[in-house]
Amino acid sequence: MSDTTIPAMPTLPAPRRTGHPAFWLASAAVALVSILALRGIGSEYAYFAATFILQYVVLATAWNILGGYAGYVNFGAAAFFAAGAYTTVAIGKALGLSLLPCIGFAALVGGVLGLGTGILTLRLRGAYFAIATLCLSVVLQTIVVNWDYVGGSRGAYVIRPREVPWPFESYSGYLCAVMVVLAAAAVAIARSIEKSRLGLGLAALRDDEAAAEAAGVPTLRLKLIATTISGAMMAVAGAPLPLLGSYVEPNSAFGLSYAVNAIAMPLIGGTGSWAGPLIGAVLLASLQQAATVTISSAANLMIVGVVLVVFVCAAPHGIIGLFRRQK
Amino acid sequence: MEGLSRRGLGRAALAAAITVPATVPATARAQTAPSGPPIRIGYSMSLSGGLAGNGRPALIAHRIWQEDVNAKGGLLGRPVELVHYDDQSTGAQVPGIYTKLIDVDKVDLVISGYATAIIAPAMPIVMQRNMTFVSLFGTGANNDFKYDRYFSINPAGSKVKETFAKGFIDLAMAMEPRPRSIALVNLDSDFHQRTAESARYLAREAGLRIVYDRAYPPSTVDFSPIIRAVQAARPDVVFVGSYPPDTAGLLRAASELRVNFQMFGGPMIGPHITAQKLQLGPILNNLVVWDVYAPEPTLQFPGTQALIEKYQPVAAREGTDALGHYVPPLAYAQMQVLEQAVKRVGRIDQAALAADMHASTFETVIGPLKFDALGEWTEERNLYTQYQGVQGNGIDQFRKAGTQVILYPQRYKSGDLRKPYTAGA
Repeated sequence: MSDTTIPAMPTLPAPRRTGHPAFWLASAAVALVSILALRGIGSEYAYFAATFILQYVVLATAWNILGGYAGYVNFGAAAFFAAGAYTTVAIGKALGLSLLPCIGFAALVGGVLGLGTGILTLRLRGAYFAIATLCLSVVLQTIVVNWDYVGGSRGAYVIRPREVPWPFESYSGYLCAVMVVLAAAAVAIARSIEKSRLGLGLAALRDDEAAAEAAGVPTLRLKLIATTISGAMMAVAGAPLPLLGSYVEPNSAFGLSYAVNAIAMPLIGGTGSWAGPLIGAVLLASLQQAATVTISSAANLMIVGVVLVVFVCAAPHGIIGLFRRQK
Repeated sequence: MEGLSRRGLGRAALAAAITVPATVPATARAQTAPSGPPIRIGYSMSLSGGLAGNGRPALIAHRIWQEDVNAKGGLLGRPVELVHYDDQSTGAQVPGIYTKLIDVDKVDLVISGYATAIIAPAMPIVMQRNMTFVSLFGTGANNDFKYDRYFSINPAGSKVKETFAKGFIDLAMAMEPRPRSIALVNLDSDFHQRTAESARYLAREAGLRIVYDRAYPPSTVDFSPIIRAVQAARPDVVFVGSYPPDTAGLLRAASELRVNFQMFGGPMIGPHITAQKLQLGPILNNLVVWDVYAPEPTLQFPGTQALIEKYQPVAAREGTDALGHYVPPLAYAQMQVLEQAVKRVGRIDQAALAADMHASTFETVIGPLKFDALGEWTEERNLYTQYQGVQGNGIDQFRKAGTQVILYPQRYKSGDLRKPYTAGA
């Protein structure tokens, strides 16, 4: 071994990074402020609009863990979302449980489904993986359509409980608060993954899976972890759906809009960072909700497509990418 | 007697001008232009997506009603304003739309959009605000909620199992020779599961042997195997429940396979839409179809023809269903129920409106209506009609009586059953 030492690189001051606990605390604080602000507005419509937007924040953030961090495009977001919704229907009917335990069960079901998808599609990459996830959606929908216990093709009614949990005045307010907490938790989880060894491994996997494997990154394990976490979070996003509308049926639960939005929102916001899906979801979902109650015509269906095309052409790395380029 | 001075004459004229409007008959006053803040009626309507084919005609009917009412002096002397948003045929959009309507737009009254999938998600919001809710084409939407301010504009009634297929089975059993077997084919959907259940129940009651009983999934695109399987079972009568794309597929397959059944049809939603009537043409001959309206002389009520005549030019301009025989009469009746209740009650009072709707009979363009405790019609009015003598693909033949004759119920009957069904062969 030579005595000569490589001269040390001049150390640059490390950029200040917020630690995981601090970010979680900040997320909790933002969630609390959001709940209080919505309560201050006190409008049922504000609750619904916020729930609609936050549902997409959770869904887009969940999709980004596999699609953005690991580069595995999942076209079956609607399947996981619907799995969460139907878990609420089935568990609510079988055990009579309230929303919060149902969300826990939905996470479990979504996680197992994600793990199963990961195991079944280990050898598939790129477009083949995407097609496999699309097939998952078709298979799950067929199962639900033929499962009479959850209403089959007729759909299922889920009546909201009469008692509203303290300190909320209406069930819509409670649902909205639950969704705020879920969205904050989803963003914090995504950020924790991004900044951890898991996130670095997923980034390596995304850039070149073979090279990452050769460099000692456990790609198989990371992929399974990503599909499991992503699946669980997408199912959590769908769990409150039956109570939001009191009625759920396969065509709407497996709707194309969930799959398209889950992909479009991170792409518009930027897939490389936790902030991308958050920005994309807030922007696009707000736009859609505003269009629904203003333009009120088929034109609002074009919004996702037009915004997506504009961003793919003008900002291929999303809004986050635009800001990074300016720096 | 003192003579009237010029000043006195002026005073008398002024007094007359003030007092005359108060003494003229109420009917004459109602013809004056409505004034004051409008009565706002809010709802979601499917103007895009899968339900738009029926949502757009419904909206035209609502607008015609609005013009009619405002031309007659409005509701309670106030103009009527419709506030509606496109739900994109997606139930998930509906709760947000109704909270916006009630909280932000401050509508006075709410009604539903088209079909069960849109009605059901609105129910919790409407129930939370204790608002009276008149729905359009909902099947059993209130069975779980049991909301006492829900009223349904749907001819199926509340006893779907016992009554829906009664007309079809009665017509079949009246044939000579009497049929002995039946095949049941239905789309795996809420409405068609219910209708098939009714046909199954009533067929057993009538002693018919069920030789084929299958539901097909909504994703089905090839209907030849279904028709072949039905042919192989050799039924005398075939009861089919389907939605427009499947109906076209099933009837095309029946035509290609040269079927020959004594009676064929059921709730095959499809020929109800003008475009499909024209597309299928002679294939429709002898098809027995469940319907809600047919332009037959036996089914004319005050206002029906006027509505159709107002509707058709607007529909032609807006490129939607040309004839308007399916949804528009019921959509107009939906508004008439609301109008008559408001006029009787004399104010916007949700509890009083619901009480009036439960107690009263409503005269509408689809005939007299009365609601039961669940808000369904006390007397169902499932029509079974048959297309007869269809030639070519022209639209005018469907405007006149005799092309779609009413076979059931007896009180509206306008023709006799023709058999067999051979899919245009």
